Amino acid sequence: MISVVISFSRITILAFVLAFTILDLIQLFEFKFSDTVSSVLSTIQAVMVTLFLINASIILYLVKEDSKIIGLLVLQLILFLLISVLLNRLTEPSSRALINNLIFFLSLSFVTLERLNINTGIKQFVFTIVSTVMAFLIVILIRNVWKIQRNMFVFAAIGIILLVIVYFVGSVEYGAKLSLSIGAIRFQPSEFVKILYLFFISGCIVTYKDFRGFLFASVGAAIHVIILVLSRDLGTALIFLMTYLLLIFIAYKNYIVLGLELLVALVGGIYAYNRFPHIQSRFIAWTDPLSVVDDKGYQISQSLFAIGTGGWFGSGLTNGVPTKIPVVANDFIFAAISEELGALVSICVIICFMCFSVMIFNVAFNCNDSFYMLVLNGIGIIFSVQSILNIGGVIKFIPSTGVTLPFVSAGGSSLLSMFISFFIIECSNDMYFVGKGRRYD
Amino acid sequence: MTKNKYSKKNIRKEIYVIAIFFAAIFVAMIVYLARYVQSGSRDFIYNSYNSRFSVFADDVTRGTIYTSDGHIIAKTTYNEDKKEIRKYPDERLFCHSVGYVDKGMSGLEAEYSFDLLKSHIDLSEQINNTLVGKKSPGDSLYTTFDYDTQKAAYESFGMFEGAVVAIEPDTGKVIAMVSKPDFDPNTIAEYWDDITDDSKKKSVLLNRATAGAYPPGSTFKIVTTVAFLRANNGDDSFEYNCKGKIAIDDYTIHCSGNKSHGNEDLLKAFSNSCNSAYAYIGLNLDKDVFTDTSEKLLFNQDLPTRLYNVKKSSFSIENQSDSVIAQTAIGQGETTVSPLHMCMLVSAIANGGELMKPYLADKIVSEEGDIVSEVKPESYGSILSENEVSLLNKYMEAVVMDGTAEKVDFGDINVFGKTGTAEYTKNKSITHSWFVGYGVDENGDKLAIAVIMEGAGYGSKYAAPLAAKVFNAYFD
Repeated sequence: MISVVISFSRITILAFVLAFTILDLIQLFEFKFSDTVSSVLSTIQAVMVTLFLINASIILYLVKEDSKIIGLLVLQLILFLLISVLLNRLTEPSSRALINNLIFFLSLSFVTLERLNINTGIKQFVFTIVSTVMAFLIVILIRNVWKIQRNMFVFAAIGIILLVIVYFVGSVEYGAKLSLSIGAIRFQPSEFVKILYLFFISGCIVTYKDFRGFLFASVGAAIHVIILVLSRDLGTALIFLMTYLLLIFIAYKNYIVLGLELLVALVGGIYAYNRFPHIQSRFIAWTDPLSVVDDKGYQISQSLFAIGTGGWFGSGLTNGVPTKIPVVANDFIFAAISEELGALVSICVIICFMCFSVMIFNVAFNCNDSFYMLVLNGIGIIFSVQSILNIGGVIKFIPSTGVTLPFVSAGGSSLLSMFISFFIIECSNDMYFVGKGRRYD
Repeated sequence: MTKNKYSKKNIRKEIYVIAIFFAAIFVAMIVYLARYVQSGSRDFIYNSYNSRFSVFADDVTRGTIYTSDGHIIAKTTYNEDKKEIRKYPDERLFCHSVGYVDKGMSGLEAEYSFDLLKSHIDLSEQINNTLVGKKSPGDSLYTTFDYDTQKAAYESFGMFEGAVVAIEPDTGKVIAMVSKPDFDPNTIAEYWDDITDDSKKKSVLLNRATAGAYPPGSTFKIVTTVAFLRANNGDDSFEYNCKGKIAIDDYTIHCSGNKSHGNEDLLKAFSNSCNSAYAYIGLNLDKDVFTDTSEKLLFNQDLPTRLYNVKKSSFSIENQSDSVIAQTAIGQGETTVSPLHMCMLVSAIANGGELMKPYLADKIVSEEGDIVSEVKPESYGSILSENEVSLLNKYMEAVVMDGTAEKVDFGDINVFGKTGTAEYTKNKSITHSWFVGYGVDENGDKLAIAVIMEGAGYGSKYAAPLAAKVFNAYFD
C-alpha cells in the first residue's frame, strides 16, 4: 500500500513542482502585471508549494511512522504564513514571487532533511525560525542607521578581521578552514562577511563617484579574496571575486576594465592551480571521477550514481539510498533531491533558482536608490554564483567547490545570511528613508 | 542631455546583461543534466561502486534479447506463483555470450542490464503505468547472432569441448559464438554448486571463444608467413627441401606423420603445413621483425573489440633458445591465442586487410519498435598490406584445394583456410583440432570462422568439417 502511494506521489509531486515552476516563469514579468493578476498567480503558487509539502510529509509520515513529521508540517505551514505576514507588516514587499520561491526552497530543504535524518530536519526548522527573527531585527537596525553606506571601511575592517581569525584559529572541514566555534555554537563567518562585503563595495562606489571608489573597492576585494584562498575556501573566494567584478561592471559600465580584470583573475587562477595540489585533485575528480572513484572522486561519483539511477522520475521519496553520498545534507543535497524526486523535479528546481536570480535583478533594476541598487545586484550575484557552483558541482558541470545551496542545504550560518539578504531585497523600497538625496533622477 | 538617454533602462542595462549571463549558465546546466540522465549516465550506473542498480527492476520489466533474425534468446515471463522469471527458450545455445541473471549476472545480460531495464515507450504511457502501479516494458536488445548458424555450430560439436567464433568480415558482426562445456541458464541457480565445482577442472562458465588461451598450432603459420614476407619486403621467394624432420640443437621437430615433403616453395610449405620448413623460416627470421609482426597482428595487445571478457593473446621469443623459436614459428612454444583472435585475423584477410571490430550487441529497440540506439560497424584500420592479403589468399586456397584440408567437403562454397593440430601436453598423440578460415558464396558474401575442438586430433578431420557445416548453415 505504502509503495503504491510513494510511486503515485512521484507523479503528483512532479505535477505540483511543475505547476509552481511554470508560474515562476510567468512571474518573471510580474512588474508588468496588475495587482489582481499578480496576487492570483502568487496565490496559486503558494497553494502548489503547500500541496507539495503536505504530499511529501504524508509519505515521510507513512514510512517513518513518526508523528513528529505531522507536527513539523503544521509548524512549517504556520511559519510560512508568519513570514509573509511579517514582511507585509514591515514593508510593501518588492516581489511576491520571491516569497513563494523562498517558501518552496525551504519546503524542499525540510522534506529532504527530514527524510535523511529527522533530527537534522528539526534542527534546520529551528534555524529557520531563528533566522527569520534575526533577519527581521537586522533589517530594522539597518534602516535606522543614518547613511549606512558611509561606514564602508568599518564593514571592510570587520569582515577582514573575521576572515583573518578564521584563517588562524578556524577548524578544518574537508580540507578548508571554514568555521569558528564559540562554546557549542559553530558558525561560518564568511557567510556574514558576504553582506558586509557588499555594503563595503557599494559604499565605496556611491560615496566617491570617481576613481578613488574603484581603487578602494579593488584593494578591499583583493584582501578578502586572498585571505579566502589562503584558507583554502575556494568556493567562497570565487563568489567574492565574481561579486566584485560584476558590481564594478554595473557601476562603471566599462567592458575593457571587466576584460582586464577577468584576465588578471585568470592568471591568478592558473597560478593557484599550479601552486595548490588540492585544486589539481579537484580537477581530476571533475574530469574523470571514475578513475579515482575510491578516493578523490568518490563523492562526485556517488552523486552521479544517485542522479543517474534516479532517472527522470526518481526512485520515489524514501526509496533511494542518498545517504551513500558523503555530506549529502549540506553540499550534495541536490543529488538527494534528484535521486528520489527525479531529474524532472530537479530540473524544475534549477529553473526556480534561475527565476529567483532573475527576480532579484528585476528588483534591483527597479530600485530607486543607487546604494541599494548595487547591494541588491550584489545579492543577486552572490545567490546566482553560489547556486551555480553548488548545483554545477553536484552534476559534474564544473569542479566541486564545496559551497552550500542557498536556503536548501543544512546549516545555520548560510541560512541566516541568505535570510538577511532576502529581507533586504523585500524591504529595499523602504531602506533609503534615512538617506534621502541619494535617489536617482 | 535628454531625459531619455539617462532613463533607467539605458543606465542600468548592464544589470540585464548580467541577469541574462547567469540565466544562460542555469540553462546550460539544465541541458547538461538532461543529457546526463538521458544518455551519459550509463558508465556511472554500471560502475561496481554503484549499489543502487536493483531499483530499476521495480518499475520496468527486463526487456527481451533477440537474434538478428528475430528469434527470442531471453525473455521475462511469469511462473506459477506470478513471480517474474527469466526464460531462455533455447536453453544452452547462447549461454556463454548471453549469460544469466540468477547468481549475479554475466554476459550480455550483465553488460546491457541497464538498457534492458530502461523503458523508452511513450512518456505518457510510462506515467500512466506508474499511476496504476504497472511495470513498463523494458527495451529489447537485438544481437548480431544468426540463429541457424549458431545452432549448426552448437550442434556439430557433439560431445567435444572447445569453441567456435564466426564473424562477418566487412562489419565485425559476430554471427555465431559457441563455447563448450556449457550450462543451462534457466537452471543455473539450481546447479550452481555443481557448475562451479573447481575439483572437476571444467571451467564451465568460462567463455572459451573469447577468454580461452590455446596453443595455436599450425594456424599460427599465418603469422609466421606474414613475418617472413615483412622481413623480405613482400617477396615470397623461398626454397626448402623437407626431409620430414629438422634438428635444432638437441631438439627435433617432425612434420606431421613424419612425412617428407621434398622440395617446397612457400605456397607448398603453407598448404602442406610443413613443420620443418616453418621451423627453418623461424630460425632465420629477424627476431625484431617476428615480434613486431605478431604485435601488429594483435598478440600481447588488448584485442580491439566491443565484446567483454576478452583475453589477451601472448607471444614471446625474447631471450629464448633456438629450439623454442623454431617451435614458436609452428605455433607451439609459449604462444597462446583465443579463438576470437584467430577469427579476427582471418576476418581481416577476408576483408582486404582491414579489421572491423567485432561486436555482438547490434541495437536497442523500444517495445513500440523505435530504435533507441544502434551500433555502427567500426574499423580498427588495416593490419595487412594488399600484397600480403593476396598471397595469403592464394596459400589458404591451396590448403583447401590440394593441401591439408583437401579431403574436406565444403560444398559449393569457396573456402580459404588453415588447419591446425596443436599439442598441449607432453603426450604428442593428444592434440587440439583447429580450423581457421573464411568462406565466400556465389554472391560474394563472406564469413570468417575459427574452430577449436579440444583433444580431438587432426584439424582436417574434426575442426574443418565442423566449419563446413557452419558455412552451409550460414550461406543457405
